[in-house]
Amino acid sequence: MSRIPAGMYIPGKSFLHRLDPLAKLIGLIILLAAVIAASSPGGYLLLILFIGVLLALSGLPFKLAIAPLRRTYLFFAVIFLMNALFFADVDPLWTWWIFSLSRTGLIQGANVVLRLAIIIVAGHILISTTSPMEITAAFRRLLKPLQYINIPVDIVALIVSVAIHFIPVLAEEVEMIRKAQTVRGARFDSTRLRDRAASLLPLVIPVFVNAFKRADELALAMEARGYRGEGRRVSGPEIAFQARDFGAVLIMAAICAVQILVL
Amino acid sequence: MTIVKRSMITAVCVALTVVLPMAFHAVPNAGSVILPMHIPVLLCGLICGWPFGLACGLIGPLLSNLFTGMPPMAALPAMLVELAVYGLMAGLLMSCVRTRKVYADLYFSLLVAMLAGRIVAGMARALIFAAGSYSMAAWTTSYFVTSLPGIAIQIVLLPSIVFALERARLIPARYPKEIVLDGSPGLDSSE
Repeated sequence: MSRIPAGMYIPGKSFLHRLDPLAKLIGLIILLAAVIAASSPGGYLLLILFIGVLLALSGLPFKLAIAPLRRTYLFFAVIFLMNALFFADVDPLWTWWIFSLSRTGLIQGANVVLRLAIIIVAGHILISTTSPMEITAAFRRLLKPLQYINIPVDIVALIVSVAIHFIPVLAEEVEMIRKAQTVRGARFDSTRLRDRAASLLPLVIPVFVNAFKRADELALAMEARGYRGEGRRVSGPEIAFQARDFGAVLIMAAICAVQILVL
Repeated sequence: MTIVKRSMITAVCVALTVVLPMAFHAVPNAGSVILPMHIPVLLCGLICGWPFGLACGLIGPLLSNLFTGMPPMAALPAMLVELAVYGLMAGLLMSCVRTRKVYADLYFSLLVAMLAGRIVAGMARALIFAAGSYSMAAWTTSYFVTSLPGIAIQIVLLPSIVFALERARLIPARYPKEIVLDGSPGLDSSE
């Protein structure tokens, strides 16, 4: 729990660090579309090469960039095996009891794992090169058009920003409560699902009460300083898109187009 | 409750949609059986109302996917629809249903929201996300049979959390006790 990637912004002066956060956010959304469209080996190769280029431009150490994959390898293995062994196919390569290994299943498993791995690494690069405040500001700018249909963009951006800040805090708190309840006899480390489900009860109620206390204190502090959730907030100078930001978005769009139309 | 407090409660509920499932990731399939991500969304809808429940149901899975890779991208669109409907319906029903009994309001809103979310998510899968390859049997298995422990946990846990929060005075009571203005509350007239 303490090794979560939340808030793992690594300050730097690389090209990706200097890129407009909004360009990075739009780029990530376009990349997600390209990943969903990918289905051929050529398509995956293009995406992996592009992730390699992003990694080089971010200046992040390779080990750090693939850290989320190393933590979730068991999950990837389960996903791959479930697809490979349970995919119904008319011409299986090997069968035993309820298991049926098929070529289609293997391809499907590889597809899911590759897509997931690319998305996780891309998201990790974004979080490592963009501070939470920059992500929030970019999110607010991205949602800005929605204010014309009466969606309170500032409140949504505030919720996202506070939630991002709360993730590591609440993760620590869950860990602390988990330890306290373990001392009292709760079985969180059991591999049996029934024990895990039963252990949820003594964990969740204190977590919610403590989290709501924090929310209450924060709301009181904000109201005491005059914040009412209405009107325009001043949040520093507006950043204008530069040539390099347009270039980055155009490159992402081109990769997505190649993925959909050619590969 | 003020809009600021509702926003802050929604923010912590969004954060909990990321944090709570992490405690169960070590067990394979725990997410689809115990459904830890549903609890904060339903609670947010019940306490803060439908706009905030809807926001929590949309933002929570997106942030969780970005920070932890879960739910996987393939399951994310259907999950977004499901959780958004949970938050929306829980909030709408809590504002419409007033039986003068907190338990009745809570259980009615909760159960109808849980059912509506499952129906809409199933329809979304059948018509959009997995058109042509989604069956009634797959819907029943994934949304009712596999997740039965999660459903039971939500039914037991959510009203308990609401009462714990009311007792701690962190949320206002739904039906505040009436205070008799011409005398001390609870005093018998013969005293």
